[in-house]
Amino acid sequence: MEAYLVAIAIIGAIYVLLTLGLTLQYGLTGLVNFGHVGFFAIGAYASAIVSMQGVPLVASFAFAALLAALAAWPIGLVALRLRDDYFAVVTLGFGETVRLAITSEKWLTNGVQGIPGIPRTFAGLGVGLPGALATLAAITLVCVAAALALRRITRSPFGRVIEAIRDNEEALKALGKDPARFKIQVLALGAALAGIAGAFYAHYITYLSPDQFIPLVTFYVWMAMIMGGVGRVSGAVVGALLLMLFLEGTRFLRDIAPDAISGVAMASLRLGAVGLALILFTLFRPQGLVGDYTRR
Amino acid sequence: MTITRRLALGAAAGTLALPNVVRAQAETFRIGALNPITGAGSPYGTGMQRMIQAAVEAINSAGGVNGRRIEVFAEDTQTSPQAAVLAAKKLIEVNRVRAILGTWSSGVSLAVIPLTNEADILLMHTSGAPALSTPPANAKNFGYRYQATNDRFGRAFAEIAVREGFRRPATMAFNNASGIGNTDGFRRAWAAKGNQNGEHVVYEPNQPSYRAELLRVLSTRPDVIVMGSFLPDTTIILREWFQTGTPVKWIIPAWAANPQLVQALGPAVTNGIIAVDSVSNEGAEAFTAYDAAYRRAMNQPGASNVYAAMTWDMANTLALAIEQSKSFETGVINAAIRQVANPPGEAVSSFAAGKAAIAAGRKINYEGASSVLDFDEFGDVTPDFGVFFIENGQFNRRYVVKI
Repeated sequence: MEAYLVAIAIIGAIYVLLTLGLTLQYGLTGLVNFGHVGFFAIGAYASAIVSMQGVPLVASFAFAALLAALAAWPIGLVALRLRDDYFAVVTLGFGETVRLAITSEKWLTNGVQGIPGIPRTFAGLGVGLPGALATLAAITLVCVAAALALRRITRSPFGRVIEAIRDNEEALKALGKDPARFKIQVLALGAALAGIAGAFYAHYITYLSPDQFIPLVTFYVWMAMIMGGVGRVSGAVVGALLLMLFLEGTRFLRDIAPDAISGVAMASLRLGAVGLALILFTLFRPQGLVGDYTRR
Repeated sequence: MTITRRLALGAAAGTLALPNVVRAQAETFRIGALNPITGAGSPYGTGMQRMIQAAVEAINSAGGVNGRRIEVFAEDTQTSPQAAVLAAKKLIEVNRVRAILGTWSSGVSLAVIPLTNEADILLMHTSGAPALSTPPANAKNFGYRYQATNDRFGRAFAEIAVREGFRRPATMAFNNASGIGNTDGFRRAWAAKGNQNGEHVVYEPNQPSYRAELLRVLSTRPDVIVMGSFLPDTTIILREWFQTGTPVKWIIPAWAANPQLVQALGPAVTNGIIAVDSVSNEGAEAFTAYDAAYRRAMNQPGASNVYAAMTWDMANTLALAIEQSKSFETGVINAAIRQVANPPGEAVSSFAAGKAAIAAGRKINYEGASSVLDFDEFGDVTPDFGVFFIENGQFNRRYVVKI
């Protein structure tokens, strides 16, 4: 049981990291990023490929974050010219482009066959519970650090500027600030978080293939953010954990009453429950569970 | 005798202790059915899971294995490695299963096999990727593949193309490990026979139309198109091809060219298509039993789901191996799997018959519903391939190809 809970916690923490990145980009700055999974994929593949060449994991994680942040650069340049809906379309396209590039560049990524046998984090502790616990400790540490950094950002002058970008970009320009620079920085930071999440994912699952990086991942992250509370650091954490509860908790219903519900019905129910929760949240708690009640 | 408070307490305690005894007698051998109920594998997953349960039911009513009943815990992989890893962790850690049966796509099996190795349990799967045969994935030789590798399918396609006298084959592949495995296997085997390969197109999943890809292939004037495809995309491609009116033959794996395809397109479009299947051992008694179980559970013919026949065989070989090894230890069971599945030995087609033969001290050879099921040193099967021609909506088996 412990190992299963640890596994859920690790995947949950990966989603917390992803949601924190999106909170920075959308929640605070108002950038509608529908291509989050692209940065996640870049981080995962970057760390996997580099580490399999013998680079130590610490360095490969840093490389994953760096490469994901760099990939955000061209998107940031696009973001200068586009707002909201158009930016959403571009990022959605970006996410798919990354997946197609991974599929096509066989020399690097082994294409659709995928990369098996990626080294585990803390492999020295063996593949059992101790290694998983150490991984969980590491990713929790990263999550806490990211959450604290994000909280620090929201209270800094930088944070006030990016929130101003979200609320009224024209007014900000009139005050003599340059939104472009801030947008690029925000995108790069959020992408770096997604990249680190990707690296954890790669070294935990130990097998990567392009079909793991479909847009659904992006929308899971959006679900988590909306349920938790847009624009709140604590909301990102609560939302991601709530999402895992929805996705994993339903497994146990079938153990309790195996005949009452078929596998197909269960899968539909699971998505239906998440959908219903989203609708109810939008209707009755648009700020999310721990949303910002100071704003209307 | 008066009933004192102490006596009543004692009786109560005794009653409480009873279920423990009962439970000890009813200890079960737990297995996990980890199947693609939703996602890309959903056309097959439910049938696969039901057939594991049906086979186990038959095994239990034949007295179980080594005196224990088998208990099945069912989970959904969602055809996604991430969901499959969590499901496998749950099966291993929470339900304490001693084997996992029926993972479907290569991505899922490759993600799950490190976990089963770590837990020292068997993984029986239906995936095509060659990487599953060898270390690191199959480091402990606890992995068994009930499906022919995609490469072997490709080799069978090449044999058929030669036999049918085709000269200019083109290939079209769904962009995943299985689709490309099929066409790559074909192209390698075709080239090895000293022939020239034609146009090769890899297409992306989930498109509403494949006209551009199709026209690219047809413009090279092939006499046959060899497919590495699945049902939804094959349906669209064949419909668009029929509209062009170009005469060409098709060789398609049977999981795509199946009765549902004929139902969707009608007999005119599908006439003359060559469908290739790892021979579901239709002559075999095991297939008859499986077919009856499948019709009961799914209300469809058993031949419509080759993977369900494989999961039926998984449960039976596992149970026979346990019976043979007289043990519940993975290592000992693992050593017994080839003993009960491979020749020589008395051919048996059900658990009950095999159990009786083992009890009588005879060496058995289980002949399955999906194939004769003889495992090589990598845990792979090399089945024979049935070649079906679709004629007036009927699947007529013309001959069998051995590779």
